[in-house]
Amino acid sequence: MFPTPPPLHQASLIVMATIVLGIMSNTIRSDSIPWIAEALAVTDKISIETETSEAPILQGISLEQAKKLFDDNFIFVDARGEEYWSEGHIPGAMVNRNFMELTFKIDSIQGRTKPVVVYCSDDDCGSSEDLAYDLQYSGFTHLYIFKGGWLSWNDAGYPTEISQ
Amino acid sequence: MERCRLSYGNFTIMHQLKSYGPVLARWILGGFFIYASLDKLAHPELFARAISNYQLVPFGLENTMAIILPWLELLAGVCLIAGILVDGANLLVAVMLIVFITAISQALGRGIDISCGCFKVTETGRSLGFSTLVQDFILLGLCFWVMNRPDRTLEIYPKPV
Repeated sequence: MFPTPPPLHQASLIVMATIVLGIMSNTIRSDSIPWIAEALAVTDKISIETETSEAPILQGISLEQAKKLFDDNFIFVDARGEEYWSEGHIPGAMVNRNFMELTFKIDSIQGRTKPVVVYCSDDDCGSSEDLAYDLQYSGFTHLYIFKGGWLSWNDAGYPTEISQ
Repeated sequence: MERCRLSYGNFTIMHQLKSYGPVLARWILGGFFIYASLDKLAHPELFARAISNYQLVPFGLENTMAIILPWLELLAGVCLIAGILVDGANLLVAVMLIVFITAISQALGRGIDISCGCFKVTETGRSLGFSTLVQDFILLGLCFWVMNRPDRTLEIYPKPV
């Protein structure tokens, strides 16, 4: 009845205009962001201070730094799925079955200002960073992302644990 | 008697409702999406974080979505209000709402306590909850109303025949 372009063609036009506007605006604006989010850089020093007046910490750490925090008995969180955690994890590492439950457990053990180390399988996985940001958003102010993750820990021959 | 009471000139109230109801639905949808886009356009970095919190997008691509999605919301909203490419804009809005409903449902199901990121991406944004889902389902209902409109009242392009 109506001589109109099909909805899909109309939608394609709008999407194309959107992409052009998005590219232009992100090129022009002063607070532009990279098209692909960049991974966190690994820090060369870690802090176990628990002062809350400083800006929140969210940094990547190396295998050696993770081992030091492990020896200092800070909490480790395994961001991998529970099935992988069951097969082997860093001793004492918590698994993220339910995020609210996880935050409650960490909070009740060491509060929200002491270091928490989050890891996943290796350098390439993103779940540790996502979980770390979620924890930061929930009020945890001192977060480290163990970049090498489970694979580098296991390869180094450091202690591991299997849980059911 | 009943016809006299509901009539105005040659048009019944029901006829006007059929024509202007979808127009009102368009304006409501357009208004919602334009309003939703503004804060995201102003703070792309915070919106990228809000997307990341849903734990649905593979790491890295949340930035791309944070750059494109607000413009899509804005353009679709403007098209709906202005009456330009209404079918296409309505289709895009419906698809976005279905994606939002899926994302919110899985976040609620997994117990992720996050800010909605729907209208405000700054700290004052409301938390994700059941009300957000209800709101999106109502908006999706408006989309179906617009999709099944009987005519093209107050539309600029494509022009009504």
